[in-house]
Amino acid sequence: MAKPTDLVQGTLDLLILKTISLEPKHGWAIAKRIQQVSREALQIQQGSLYPALHRLEQQAWIKAEWRPTETGRMAKFYSLTRSGRKQLERELANWVRLSTAINIVVQGA
Amino acid sequence: MRILDKARLRLRSLFRRPDVDFELEAELRFHLDRLIEENVSSGMPPDEARRAAHRKIGGVAQYTEECREMRRVRFVEDLVQDVRYTIRSLAKSPGFTGVVVATLALGIGANIAIFTIVHGALLRPLDYPKPDRLMYLTAEAPAIGSAGNPLSAREYIEFRHMTQSFAEVGAYSTGGSAYTTGEVNLTVGDRPLRARSVSVDAHLLKALRIQPERGRLFRDEETARWTGTLPPPIAILSHELWRTAFGGRPIVGQKVEIEGRPHEIVGIMPPGADVMDNHTQIWLPLWLHPNMASQREAHVLYVVARRKDGVAFEAARTELSALLENWGDRVGATEHVPTNRPLRPVDHTLQLRPLQDAIVGNASRPIWVLQAAVGFVLLIVCANLANLVMARAGSRRREFVLRAALGASRGRLLRQSVTEGAMLSGAGGILGVWLASAGVRALIHAYPTSIPRTSELTIDLPVLLVALGLSTGTALLFGFVSLGRRRSSSMATALKKGARGASGAWRHSAHRGLVIVQVALAVMLVIGAGLLVQTVYNLTKIDAGFDRSRLVTFSLTLPMANSEPDTRAQAYQRVLERLRTVPGVLGTTAMSGLPPNRTADAIATPIENYTRGDGRPFEIIDYYQFVMGDYFGTMGIPIVAGRGFERTDNASEGKVAIVNEALANRIWKGQDPIGRRLRPPGGSFGAGDNVWHTVIGVAKDVRQRGVERPAGTELYVSLDQHSVSPPSMNVVMRTTLPPVALSATIERAVSEVDAAVPVVRLRDMDSVFAESIRRPRLLAQLLGAFAGLALLLAAIGTYGVLSYMVTERRREIGIRVALGAARSRVLTEIMKQGLQVTALGVTIGLVGTLAVNRLIASLLFGVQPTDIVTIAFVIAAITAVAALASWLPAWRASRVDPNVVLRDE
Repeated sequence: MAKPTDLVQGTLDLLILKTISLEPKHGWAIAKRIQQVSREALQIQQGSLYPALHRLEQQAWIKAEWRPTETGRMAKFYSLTRSGRKQLERELANWVRLSTAINIVVQGA
Repeated sequence: MRILDKARLRLRSLFRRPDVDFELEAELRFHLDRLIEENVSSGMPPDEARRAAHRKIGGVAQYTEECREMRRVRFVEDLVQDVRYTIRSLAKSPGFTGVVVATLALGIGANIAIFTIVHGALLRPLDYPKPDRLMYLTAEAPAIGSAGNPLSAREYIEFRHMTQSFAEVGAYSTGGSAYTTGEVNLTVGDRPLRARSVSVDAHLLKALRIQPERGRLFRDEETARWTGTLPPPIAILSHELWRTAFGGRPIVGQKVEIEGRPHEIVGIMPPGADVMDNHTQIWLPLWLHPNMASQREAHVLYVVARRKDGVAFEAARTELSALLENWGDRVGATEHVPTNRPLRPVDHTLQLRPLQDAIVGNASRPIWVLQAAVGFVLLIVCANLANLVMARAGSRRREFVLRAALGASRGRLLRQSVTEGAMLSGAGGILGVWLASAGVRALIHAYPTSIPRTSELTIDLPVLLVALGLSTGTALLFGFVSLGRRRSSSMATALKKGARGASGAWRHSAHRGLVIVQVALAVMLVIGAGLLVQTVYNLTKIDAGFDRSRLVTFSLTLPMANSEPDTRAQAYQRVLERLRTVPGVLGTTAMSGLPPNRTADAIATPIENYTRGDGRPFEIIDYYQFVMGDYFGTMGIPIVAGRGFERTDNASEGKVAIVNEALANRIWKGQDPIGRRLRPPGGSFGAGDNVWHTVIGVAKDVRQRGVERPAGTELYVSLDQHSVSPPSMNVVMRTTLPPVALSATIERAVSEVDAAVPVVRLRDMDSVFAESIRRPRLLAQLLGAFAGLALLLAAIGTYGVLSYMVTERRREIGIRVALGAARSRVLTEIMKQGLQVTALGVTIGLVGTLAVNRLIASLLFGVQPTDIVTIAFVIAAITAVAALASWLPAWRASRVDPNVVLRDE
């Protein structure tokens, strides 16, 4: 089980952006979703998640709005802004380039 | 778009902070609740589920703080916090805050006010295009100590033709030889006005590169053809006169009555356009009487020239020097040509200097002296503040140490104290700028002509930058003093109640050093101010040669254009007769030049049976005084030999004259001057021909051109005997009434004689004298005020430091008193400490005074820069002030009750 600090620098932002790119989600759902999709490999700690959400919001890549959840309780839902979508594309491209390069080095050696 | 979104978020973080924090809390609570639900649904009992969830989430406060960091407004938030804290803590000590802000405002305000003058009058370039290329050409006669004179018309034209260095050479005149006396009568509607005028040629306007706001300037042929008896009737108005007198209505092409003659207004000058700080209101075409234009002796034109691009000042000077080598040969003249080597009294040379220097003239030294003085005041202010801040930092030491112990970082504490300094000096600076602008306005209002270029004085950007610099400097001083102070305090010792800082000795000597500096600077300022006050006193006590009390004067001009010498004389006679019958008027007279502030005439006068040192049969007489009525009786000028003018002279054929003692001594050197003859040129006062005048009396010398200048040679001629008069005359009445009470009567008397003639400069003789010494008086008043401020601040500084020392030593004093020390001894000891500091300061101040006082020697009159009486008086005064400032804390120390002190500690 990887701690968030073990995540490659900046990948948490990528994970968050990717996770909310399909539909708006609140913080809890974002953490859960990452956990499920990674088959429990990635556990996002609240201590990292919320500062990261704040940072992305201050960068105006994501925006937040208060909406009722399926249980009727109000929660803060995050969704991508237009510049956030561009940022996601940029980070994805970066990630692909970086992981490919690392794979070549790791497997070719 | 994204930038706008970000800005909106930052603003929200800043101004809706409670909302933002509340949302964060709600969000985190939602997360926690979901975690608990999840634990419960996995089978944990509720309590266990809650505990596990809390464990998992960890320190909420910590990452709440992290989230806040993410908002990127931490810096601003801290600042707001600091500012709030500062306001709270300053409001808690209003005394400290008030003293600091007030001293800062005074110190900064005085500096900005004077710097406004330094910048506006001395540093800022003149308001012409490429002003550094403008030069001023004057005639100098060093052998008789005469400087800054105008050129003759011939010289001006010759220079124009010969020089290669200048793109344009122009001339102007404000003197009587150019048809006006620097002022003209102007009729607007039915109201007569007096307006300041200057007569310029077209070349001058080109040299200055002035462009008209409306209409046109003068053409070459309108200002260069010096023929006939009158100049062409055209004029240009200043923007300001056009606005005030004509309401800004279209006037170009219309006729306006100037000097009794209709003149066509051909143009309007742009706002602020002027020549030589003359405050010009009407520009007239330069015109000289053909005789005047051809005379080499008649120095009537002031010359301004614009250097060609690429010609350096030195090159222009070298060229002038080369021209002066053989000026006479070049122009084909032998008499009265300028030379490089003016040895005899009749010789003169020409000198070039930058126009700006010529305009500022001798005003620059007093202004720099004032700037130095206010600089001293600011240093004293800073020393005082440093002391105050050190004392305050000392008393707040425990507070700071406590805050450091609670986790405030050192940088954070420093930032806090710099914020405090910045707020104090910012408040002081803003107040100072306000004080300065009010002060400068009041100064210009009170002394409109004492400071050069006042029309251009404003608090503009460079001045504000200096103000900002001064404020920032003092803010930094606060921070550093507090930092230095705090570094010396160790946490543990400071927290122990009653512990003394280990650096007490260092601190005390720092305090003392600052007080010594203050006292030294104050000594220098007070001595300087004392010398100037002495100067003004000396100037007011000068016997100008006549009885100035109960005299009222005004002046009139009957324009040359529409009057003749004999009709003018009749008009003035009628005015004098009307005034003579007014109750309360004891005597009336009229004169061509009003002492003690008139201009010199310097007229070459042939004298019978006389040859001067250089073999000429005439003497240059400094002043001609043409008088009407009972001049000597009304003015109270004693006749020391012979007699004054009498009514019987008016009808007699033989013309008579009176000389002053200086002239009698110059020409007849101890022999009896009565019955000797001289021949004043009739053209100088409107008489047709030159006739011999017989000297009938000798009058006591009267100061003519400034009370501080020695009286020159003077010749009196009675206009009653000649029945002619020059255009302008000054009327003087001996009366028990003040000018205001006479004003209506005088206006009526003059308008009965000529309704188009305005009464100008109606005032009493005391005002004339005050006007003549306005500059030294202004300097003495300002320097006196600054010195007083310095003295007060130094006294406060001495008092503050001694009080602080006494407070720190209360315990020790208490013990000594308990052990039997006499209270009088405690008092003497503390006072001795204060006076020792003062004595050191006074000594250093005296050394400084001796070093710099020669700089103000040229501003003094009748007192030496090392005047022992002034210096002794100042030392006594400062010692007395210091004694008083030390006595208060010393007395308090001697009253210390050992019981109270020892119980307190």
